[in-house]
Amino acid sequence: MIPRAALAVLALSLAAASPVALAQFPFNLNRLIDTARDLTKATTETSDAQELEIGREYAAVLLGAAPLVADPALQRYVNALGRWVAQHSERPELAWQFGVLDSDNLNAFATPGGFVFVTRGLLAKLRSEAELAGVLAHEIGHVVKKHHLNAIRKGAGMQAGMNVVGDYLAQRGRNPEVTSRLVSGMKEVMLRGLDKDDEFEADRMGVVIAARSGYDPYGLPAVLQTLSAMNPQDSGLALLFATHPAPADRLDALDAAMGTRLDRFAPGARGSAEFLRVTRGK
Amino acid sequence: MKGRLLALLIGCTAGLAAAQEAGYAVRQTELKREPFADAAAAGSLPERAAVKIVSRQAGWLRVESAAGAGWVRMLSIRTGATEGAGGDSGIKQLFNVARSGSSGTVVATGVRGLDREQIANAQPNAAELSRLAQFAASPADAERFAKDAGAAAQAIDYLPASQGAQGAAGR
Repeated sequence: MIPRAALAVLALSLAAASPVALAQFPFNLNRLIDTARDLTKATTETSDAQELEIGREYAAVLLGAAPLVADPALQRYVNALGRWVAQHSERPELAWQFGVLDSDNLNAFATPGGFVFVTRGLLAKLRSEAELAGVLAHEIGHVVKKHHLNAIRKGAGMQAGMNVVGDYLAQRGRNPEVTSRLVSGMKEVMLRGLDKDDEFEADRMGVVIAARSGYDPYGLPAVLQTLSAMNPQDSGLALLFATHPAPADRLDALDAAMGTRLDRFAPGARGSAEFLRVTRGK
Repeated sequence: MKGRLLALLIGCTAGLAAAQEAGYAVRQTELKREPFADAAAAGSLPERAAVKIVSRQAGWLRVESAAGAGWVRMLSIRTGATEGAGGDSGIKQLFNVARSGSSGTVVATGVRGLDREQIANAQPNAAELSRLAQFAASPADAERFAKDAGAAAQAIDYLPASQGAQGAAGR
């Protein structure tokens, strides 16, 4: 955001620079402000293509921390289910890509532009395809609302007067220093997490997106019950718990928001036979 | 001797893994004979009543409790202990050792990936990003998948932030 004071400075400097023009044409402050506003818009609004560029950098960092599980059948399965679920979001046109990360930790991640990851550790705890659909739908909710993109923008880089996203897009990744600042901003979001309200919103969207896709809306709450039943000291939960509201609080919020509203969409799809085969080798 | 100990360990931890989840009621709630809102009553769970979760069906849990057994709405139950659990992490660590031992998978201690430190030190992996793209599904792939899974699309609006007390009432 360009602050209001900057708009005023811009208007004044333009006025000072062209006294002759001012004399010939009526001084139109509103018009100047409109122009400045358009400039602001250009630096704070990101096209889908630009968002994908940011997302590719973000996904590459996650993949640098943990590679994909070397199991093409598993990766294709998660992509088919994930794409089906994403088609029932408000952004079906994105080039959605899903991956299972080779980590024992329990976690799931979304990036700008439509990359969604779930860890092998979390997958092993899921009872059904509906639970996986619920997890993916929660992450898809983050992408629809651009939670991560906004969090990177609001990060520490901005406080220091930097625009890490805008600078990166202007350089097209050719300036290593600018790219490295963006990567730092992304890592900060990965480690600090999103605002609690973003997580609660993604939960509310997740149950609906899963149900729109024909899956049991209670898949996501069931996963939260699994997490809530685990020992909170389990090291595999450390990052998830540090970056999300407590599962019991998320269940309270879903309890209040769902009521019995989605009950008629349960139990939903029986699920594909693939789920047990690719997640349990059965 | 060592083998027998390991077998014992695996047997005992397998039992742990299959153990029913513990939980408690967040409100006074009716136990049902079947997992449906209009099923006959099978008793009543007082608020904070401890339950054992025996099985799950959609938005319902089959529970056992001092107040009897029956089906209860999933979101009327919270899992885990009401107070801080603690104390069983040693057992869980044992379980992880036994599990990796029995599956033959070598899990190097402390190298889980995606811990705080690993993310902080991660270098972008472009090769893995290219590999990821190979597995992408098209909308047509997704349609085929959904047909196999018996998943039928529904039109549903998003939920407002909270129904507040209204949501918890009437159950």
